[in-house]
Amino acid sequence: MATDVHSPSWVNTNHPAPPQRPPASEVGVLGWLRTNLFIDIGNSILTIVTLIVLYYIVTNLVQWAIGAYWTPIWVNRKIFAVGLYPTAQLWQPALVLLMVSALFGVSAGQWGSMIRGLGFGLGVLLLALALIPIGLEAQLVMAGSLALLVVGYFIGARLPIPNKLLSIAWILSLPATLILLLGGLNFPAWGISWTFAPLVDTNLWGGLMLTMLLAVVGIALSFPIGVLLALGRRGNLPVIKYFCVGYIELIRGVPLITLLFMGMTMLPLFLPSNWGNPSQLVRAVTAITFFSAAYLAENVRGGLQAIPKGQYEAAEALGLGSFDKLRFIILPQALTKVIPAIVGQFIGLFKDTSLVSLVGLLELVAVGKAVIQQPEWLGVPGGVAKEVYVFVAFVFFIFSYGMSFVSRKLENKLGFGKR
Amino acid sequence: MTSSTLAHTRPPFYRDTRTIAILLQVLFLIVVLVSGWFLYNNMVTRMAAGNTAAGGALSWSFLSQTAGFGISEGPTFRPEESYSRAYLIGVINTLRVGIVGVILATILGLFAGIARVSNNWLLNKLASIYIEIFRSTPLLVQLLFWYVGVIAALPTVQDAADLAGIGYLTNRGMYLTWIYPSETGRALTWWLLGGVLVGLLVSWLRRRQLERTGVPGSGALAGAAAFVVVVGVGYAVAMFTTAMPATTNYELRRGDRGVLFEDLNGNNAFDLNVDRGLAHVPITLFDADGQVIATGATDGDGAFRFVDLPAAATRIEWRTPAPLAISEPQRQGFNFAGGISLTPEFTALLLALVAYTGAFIAEIVRAGINAVNKGQWEASRALGLSTGDTLRMVVLPQALRVIIPPLTSQYLNLVKNSSLAIAVGYPDLFNISRTIVNQTGAEVQGILLVMATYLSFSLITSLFMNWYNKRVALVER
Repeated sequence: MATDVHSPSWVNTNHPAPPQRPPASEVGVLGWLRTNLFIDIGNSILTIVTLIVLYYIVTNLVQWAIGAYWTPIWVNRKIFAVGLYPTAQLWQPALVLLMVSALFGVSAGQWGSMIRGLGFGLGVLLLALALIPIGLEAQLVMAGSLALLVVGYFIGARLPIPNKLLSIAWILSLPATLILLLGGLNFPAWGISWTFAPLVDTNLWGGLMLTMLLAVVGIALSFPIGVLLALGRRGNLPVIKYFCVGYIELIRGVPLITLLFMGMTMLPLFLPSNWGNPSQLVRAVTAITFFSAAYLAENVRGGLQAIPKGQYEAAEALGLGSFDKLRFIILPQALTKVIPAIVGQFIGLFKDTSLVSLVGLLELVAVGKAVIQQPEWLGVPGGVAKEVYVFVAFVFFIFSYGMSFVSRKLENKLGFGKR
Repeated sequence: MTSSTLAHTRPPFYRDTRTIAILLQVLFLIVVLVSGWFLYNNMVTRMAAGNTAAGGALSWSFLSQTAGFGISEGPTFRPEESYSRAYLIGVINTLRVGIVGVILATILGLFAGIARVSNNWLLNKLASIYIEIFRSTPLLVQLLFWYVGVIAALPTVQDAADLAGIGYLTNRGMYLTWIYPSETGRALTWWLLGGVLVGLLVSWLRRRQLERTGVPGSGALAGAAAFVVVVGVGYAVAMFTTAMPATTNYELRRGDRGVLFEDLNGNNAFDLNVDRGLAHVPITLFDADGQVIATGATDGDGAFRFVDLPAAATRIEWRTPAPLAISEPQRQGFNFAGGISLTPEFTALLLALVAYTGAFIAEIVRAGINAVNKGQWEASRALGLSTGDTLRMVVLPQALRVIIPPLTSQYLNLVKNSSLAIAVGYPDLFNISRTIVNQTGAEVQGILLVMATYLSFSLITSLFMNWYNKRVALVER
């Protein structure tokens, strides 16, 4: 009050009214309920109808899940995981898992961001599998992989490992995986035969392992083709450009299943007769690669289009040749931009690999079909189809949703796709 | 100065980018041609060794040969007909599931997408769960789940689930009550078509008039009214002017089945492909004592069949039917007759395609609505429009511009994904092409035919959607 004499007459010198608590209907649980569920009459009706529908769905689902017969899945867990792979040689896929986990760990520590998210998801999965009593040896492998993942993460985070080395390790991991799973190298046509274990025929590979392998190999092999196609389509050489456009549009215009059938029946026809017939796995991978390349090319093209013209001009001004320009300026930027799109495409391809079950490969869905047909479950009333397909869908869901979740988180963080 | 000397020094021709470009392209062309020739040569060699039934490497003569297999659904097909017609039936079946699927998936996706932006938390989350589950699992698994897990587990025909009087749900398919034009209503199809045309014309005229006078509203109501009037007139005309053909005759076999037909050649017997069966005509059956033993109606081909008759029928009578006949499914032995039936294969494929594509469309719709500036919502709220009106008249028309391009590719995906029909045995074009290939060995031709068909679908859909996209595009000054 002492300062009143200095204040101009128009200043309100009364103390402001003491702050009041907002009404109970605006804050807390009640306020949340009101704004989110019962804001007006229409909304309240909607909420109640939704609640009734939800109650109906949930009670039926829970009832079904409790009464369902899950034994076939538990009994066949090995087939779901690796197909008919010989039990005595399961250490080979185990080694692959250990190798990939270690690589994942190191890369997650080194590169962070999306790889870290995916590595975290892998860790959770490994932990869950190590804790579920699926079999002592398998659990030990899972625990070992988890340990390698964690150790690798800290090594990657602490030690300066050159990016180039890590990339080469990833690239080499693919042939290493194939050799490990095969048990050696065997090309009788070229006189190469080196084995460290009895050779495992690719027709015995199956289950989730095959699903994963098809998707990873498909994306990896289609990557160089896709980039070349995208560059060809963006380039200014008309012959190459129209060839690329024709290829991309042709492949994108037809369903994958036609390509798979084509690969299965026509690929052997296209090869010289003294080469013999490629295995079914090779045929499927070829079809998937050619399919995936067209979609990848379109994704990469999107990235190329997003590079401002100034980058090209600046590279030219620096005196870089066409190849160096692409290698050092354009592609690094374009490929970084399309990582989310490529992850999306990988998820799509992962789901699409289920189609190879229609051409005789024993991946997850085909294993499911085989399990349903097993004579042990003939007596189960209503059959076990629902249980098996729900399980297969669940496995696919974990991986696809996990990957898309990580990718979306990253996009939000980096501001990709923000308007 | 020095510039004059520089101007005349040209790089050697092998460093000229134009020459390099041409050389590169020629080289590329040679590589493509040589590898193409290599592959083709191998193929011809192997096919000659393999001795396929299709004759030469690329002979199309098999198309006119007799198919020799039946097709479980779609337009009527007899095994005596040719492979090309069998393939055509496959194309029709693909379009059947594709068109119905596109319409239903759009509706489902629109609702789920709007629910996804709703401020009702519960509805929002429910839609989001639906979208995530159906987007993250393979379509093939969903299809097999519907087909083997759900539809095969439905009750048998004997204790079919009653769908509130409109039909039955069984593990042999869905049977629904349906309205068919009967014998006297044959012309109704034309009236219907005319009604659509007149309706479109009237709605266009009305909209122009409204635009001129500045009154808000669309011509839809006037168009609908015109349609109803035309169809109503057509119905009345059909009812009062059409009678049963003078030469109506019937053939009765084994006392419980037969056919009612117009005897075009007048020989008192039903000749397939000559005489015309009379569709959906009410009939009454009498036994030798003149007692009524059954009443019913003929089916779409004029045939009729009754089970469990107390006595053999010797004579039938028919009445002139109303132009439109309501056909209810009725249990006959181990199956249903009448109404419209959806096979388990069609139902499963349709369900799977709609649920799967609907989830993707929902995400597209959500992204489209989110792309509309928030100020548009606030402005229309300030103008006093309700949420529904805002959505319908302000937001969705603008969102459509963002929605249409990805929506087109979803439609194309749906049609392409319908090739999974082979997993459940629905006779779509791909499935039938495999049967043809297996019978004739015309591997290359079969694949080429299928690819060409899918590519033309893509082309037609893209053309239509591009046209529509231009229509809704922002008209800038």
